[in-house]
Amino acid sequence: MDVATKSRRHLGRRLPVILAGVVLSLWTVAIVGCLQGGEEPASSATVLIFKHGKLSGDATVLPGLLREFEQRHPGLIVREELLPASSDRQHQYYAMNLDGGSAPFDVLAIDTIWVQEFAQAGWIGRLDDIVPMGERAAFFPSAVAAATFGGQLYAVPWYIDAGMLYYRRDLLDRYGLMPPSTWDDLVHAATVIVDAEQDRRLSGFVWQGKQYEGLICTTLDVLRSYGADLWTGDLDQAERGLQFLRDTIAMHKVSPPSTSMADEESTRHFFGDGQAVFMRNWPYAWPLLQRQGSPVRGKIGMAPLPSVPGHAGAPVLGGWLLAVAEQSSRREAAGELVRFLTSPDIQRAIAIQLGYNPARRALYSDASVLDARPELMALYPTLLQSQPRPVTPSYILLSQAAQPEISALVVGRKTPRAVLDAVRRQADRYMGGGAASVAGARQ
Amino acid sequence: MSRLSERAWGYLLAAPAFVLLGFVALAPIGAALWLSLYRRMPVFGLDEFIGAANYVQLWSDERFWAACRVTLYFTTLSVTAELVVGFGLALLLDRLTSRSGRSSPWEQAMVLLPWAVPTVVSAQIWKWLYQPDYGLLNYLLLRVGLIDAPIDWLADPDWAIHAAVVMDVWKTTPFATLLLLAGLKALPQDLYAAATVDGAGPWERFRRITLPLLMPIVVIVLVFRTMDAVRVFDAVFVLTGGGPGNTTETLSIYAYKTLFQTLQFGYGSALATAMFILVAGLSALYVVLLRRHFQESA
Repeated sequence: MDVATKSRRHLGRRLPVILAGVVLSLWTVAIVGCLQGGEEPASSATVLIFKHGKLSGDATVLPGLLREFEQRHPGLIVREELLPASSDRQHQYYAMNLDGGSAPFDVLAIDTIWVQEFAQAGWIGRLDDIVPMGERAAFFPSAVAAATFGGQLYAVPWYIDAGMLYYRRDLLDRYGLMPPSTWDDLVHAATVIVDAEQDRRLSGFVWQGKQYEGLICTTLDVLRSYGADLWTGDLDQAERGLQFLRDTIAMHKVSPPSTSMADEESTRHFFGDGQAVFMRNWPYAWPLLQRQGSPVRGKIGMAPLPSVPGHAGAPVLGGWLLAVAEQSSRREAAGELVRFLTSPDIQRAIAIQLGYNPARRALYSDASVLDARPELMALYPTLLQSQPRPVTPSYILLSQAAQPEISALVVGRKTPRAVLDAVRRQADRYMGGGAASVAGARQ
Repeated sequence: MSRLSERAWGYLLAAPAFVLLGFVALAPIGAALWLSLYRRMPVFGLDEFIGAANYVQLWSDERFWAACRVTLYFTTLSVTAELVVGFGLALLLDRLTSRSGRSSPWEQAMVLLPWAVPTVVSAQIWKWLYQPDYGLLNYLLLRVGLIDAPIDWLADPDWAIHAAVVMDVWKTTPFATLLLLAGLKALPQDLYAAATVDGAGPWERFRRITLPLLMPIVVIVLVFRTMDAVRVFDAVFVLTGGGPGNTTETLSIYAYKTLFQTLQFGYGSALATAMFILVAGLSALYVVLLRRHFQESA
């Protein structure tokens, strides 16, 4: 037997012992690590748990602000817990965790379209004393409307969004065109530029046409610019608006067929690669398109979405609000955190350092904010005009039922009239009988 | 110790396993069935027993029937293709390995690879392959000259479901291949030798020996793959999310949206139960077919 075999056999006999040693020491390290990680600060401190989706930009800004809060409120500690990026997943997380009756968090960031639902369910508490009636005018009225349920405030606007039209300033200049103020102008400009540029990869107008919440936003943007709405109001005008959506792809051919799978990010990449003249998107895309290395940096502009002559458009309100879990045992401290994060100073810091649009109107004429974010000046009138999606606890039901209908319109499987018939029937079902009447009875 | 018959002892000793199985498998099914008899929407504080009302609503729900059609279409296409392609690959591998007398781990690893990749990851990879502008599929088809302009496979309501079928076939054929290959390896070689002596050609040998003897394995493949295909969720959800225009919305995607997005727990459970009945019905059908096959050949 040679030495190698001998030592291998020797090792074979000792292997279990070595493995056991390794496992044991790993366990020790892990347990010690846990103990240290889970070590609670001074016993008198109250720990607030703040749930929110990841903010874009510098990841040290928000923690820095939270440490400032802790300094101002001795005895309070804030622990952030991040949720997955997808807002559907966040909604699911909140619903599953709040429905049980006990909340594993105190402060939560929620989408504008969830406030009514969460308030109806009794998942979030009233915040009237955080922003008394007299101070609410400091925020954008549409955001306050979205946060008000049964006359009471249930969430405080944190940052705000509205659908905007992005355009390629360089291309419009080349052909002596102005940013379009009507949809006809947009189609005309897109056709002229795409025909003249002779670039096979260039499209006229990209927007979110995938079967998801973003499609409802685009549709409402267009319908409201026609003076119509999806679930209520004038049918003929709504039909024209829906027909225009389909026509951008089928008749005017300014929007690519891939629109039926396009979401915010794919349109941003498309436009950001210089492949489109116009884009409908939220303001979040602006700093990303203007950053170093972006192919369209310095070549783009942002304007209110076009409308139909005789109708003032009203872009769809987006954005996030802060709320306090009804079941939290630390509601007073949680309210203080909401007050702090929505205060003018913090809104200013978030606007300047992270590029979010403050929910407080005064900051749009604040010198230091405009210095860092000059585009906010142009954004202000659009944000002021914005209108929330239907303010009802049944909104998710309405939206989920309407998405496949409008998606079928986008790919030419349904006519505008058929879509409207279906959507209005759904509105009757969700708002007329059942759920809505029960909702009324509970208030 | 009391005197128990051997039979009673057997039941006693197996009892913990039965209880465990009951908790893990039967309890959730029972709970979903029970929930489907309620109108439960926590947002509106609704939690009332409504008997079969959810099923009545299901019967007149166009979206449910559309989802059934999509699910069955997807299942039929993908399971058929998986069986045919899987059988072909299994025969090929069997040949390769019996000729050389040993099986090469590389060939087997290559065949198994798609099965080993998590579905969400492979669906994301396929999403890039299908991408109209820089996707590989359009590039290859354009180079070969089969198409003149790039096709947006997932945005087109006619193509989208087929794109999902192709991805599913790529992903799960290895499962069929592996089972069939194991079956082929177990076939008695003397039957083939005898058939060859009797003058049977390769096709005759395949039709009269391989196929009948492999029938039980084929049915197992069909049952497993059908059950998976009827419940398909992640592959289609990642590729299309059910769109465009609900042309790829399968039953589980509809159930997921009803349960977890609009929080209609009662109605969503009715949907899940309907899906369970569909799977159970199809499986029973296969079992009956298999039994008849054995009775005929006996």
